[in-house]
Amino acid sequence: MASAFNYNEFIQPACQQFVEFVVKKMKKIIFFVVVLLLTGCAQQDDFESDQVGNFEALWSIMDEHYSFFDYKQVNWDEVHQRYRALVSNKMTDRELFDVCGEMLKELRDGHTNLIASHDVSRYWIWEQWPVNYDERIIDEHYLNFDYKMACGIKYQILPSNFGYMYYDSFMSDIGEGNLDLILSYLSTADGLIIDVRNNGGGLLTNVEKLVSRFIGEKTLAGYISHKTGPGHNELSKPYAYYFEPTKNHIHYLKPVVVLANRSSFSATNNFVSIMKSLGNVTIVGDTTGGGCGLPFTSELPNGWRVRFSSCPIMDNKGQLTEFGVAPDVRVDMNENDRTSDAILDEAINILTNSSINH
Amino acid sequence: MRKLYIVCCLMAVLSVAGQDAGSMLMIDAGYASVHDSYLTPITYDGLDLAMSVEAVRNVRHDKWLWQLMVGVDYNYVENNVRNNDLHKLMGDITFDMQRVWRNAIARRIDVSVGPMTQLRAGIVYDEVNSNNPVTVRAHWNVGATAMAAWHTRLGRKPVTLRYQVQLPVLGVFFAPEYDESYYEIYLGNHRNLAHLGWWGNRLDMTHYLGADLRLGKTTLRLGYRTRLEHWNVNHLKVHDVTHSAVLGISL
Repeated sequence: MASAFNYNEFIQPACQQFVEFVVKKMKKIIFFVVVLLLTGCAQQDDFESDQVGNFEALWSIMDEHYSFFDYKQVNWDEVHQRYRALVSNKMTDRELFDVCGEMLKELRDGHTNLIASHDVSRYWIWEQWPVNYDERIIDEHYLNFDYKMACGIKYQILPSNFGYMYYDSFMSDIGEGNLDLILSYLSTADGLIIDVRNNGGGLLTNVEKLVSRFIGEKTLAGYISHKTGPGHNELSKPYAYYFEPTKNHIHYLKPVVVLANRSSFSATNNFVSIMKSLGNVTIVGDTTGGGCGLPFTSELPNGWRVRFSSCPIMDNKGQLTEFGVAPDVRVDMNENDRTSDAILDEAINILTNSSINH
Repeated sequence: MRKLYIVCCLMAVLSVAGQDAGSMLMIDAGYASVHDSYLTPITYDGLDLAMSVEAVRNVRHDKWLWQLMVGVDYNYVENNVRNNDLHKLMGDITFDMQRVWRNAIARRIDVSVGPMTQLRAGIVYDEVNSNNPVTVRAHWNVGATAMAAWHTRLGRKPVTLRYQVQLPVLGVFFAPEYDESYYEIYLGNHRNLAHLGWWGNRLDMTHYLGADLRLGKTTLRLGYRTRLEHWNVNHLKVHDVTHSAVLGISL
């Protein structure tokens, strides 16, 4: 019985024809391959590495990647016109840096920095607000220089029988085992004060680790978005993200007060916004420093680096917290009083009233 | 683990199929250029280092040739002002089956053509970026490969001069959205990460030109390899090129 598909009849002649074709066209094929190889090497960057080129590169990077132009109502084209007039190839690097740094300040963004070997441009508005934190006062007058420390967290039970945790940076990685030991030590306290004043942020994964110890069920933490293209309004649909209680670890579900100030920035701002949404948590102190855009980093032809807000993170109501999270109870420290911390005192009052009501 | 299993299976298939036409251990060293707009708009260049194993089998009375290559490659590249560097580490598995025409163009010249498939994955890491310090590269594709081999002599030693091109045509590859953070992917947003790769958005090519010099029972390989990886999706652009010398020895 004849096969329906005969190799010798169909495939072999076709292959031989193909080979003959290749041999005939060999010169053209070699030319095509050489062209492909040469063009493969020809990747060119878009900007010159002179002063004007670097300025234009910086402006374009921000134009295409920064995510809060509309939210902050910044006309970036107008900004370009104003600052481009100040730039020439005769400028020194320091002069160019100063012009570029001033241009970035138009964005009013603590996450936006130009980083060179000699300087870092910044918009750290919190430097101008009341400090509202003094570590020495707490160590001396509340902890009596007697406290424990684990994974960057200072903790102790205060004489009023409320736990106190001070976390100075979300860059300090938190171990689940460390948190178990801290929370088990503080479990006998009637309430807990989490102090994140002067915490300038860090890793969002540490925010999740910490928040997950204070929730009893899956909780909407907020929404995250990102640029999907170079246009100012090309942003993705906000994606809802949730935190779940850490399984098989210790949780703290008694009343909690979080202390914040203007230097509670970036990941700390995110932590405060999530904690504020929990039923048993009160935020005391000052408005946080904001910074709800996850920063990305890019680079200029001269090697300077630029950091900028790229991915907006919203609270659980879908609101941006770029300019901070307002406290539930607004309190300022008395700068002339070197023996007490009015914000911490207010937290103790709130917890005392809470335990009395219970 | 699954990848290792697949490699072992392919090696096993090759080991029982047909006649051993040689296995080579190769080291590549040369120039690399890396452009990945997710990390930086600047093109970096520097060193390419790679190690690979190639196994070849002649099957079906020498009419077909099966070729399996498993390799890892590392690029250490710097920006133009040499104040930052990127590290790129990739691994790949390539398998092809080629129909061979012996003495096709002239005496002692073999030509072969056939389909190929490749799985290639790895990362590119920028030491100083904030929330975009790394990007993942992964693609699987199918395409065509073609080879021409001229069996000749250098003095009294048999030498095979070989040229091979590998040209993926269609595949699937991973890419985040324009400024999507890996943190968002970690949180569970997996939308629009897998992309169909074709010549409209992606072009990969590998060319190899070299000589196998037989010295007794050992074969020494000297050659040149260039690899191009180019894609453009989600307004992101990748354009990587390597040019490397190849030194190999038979196993």
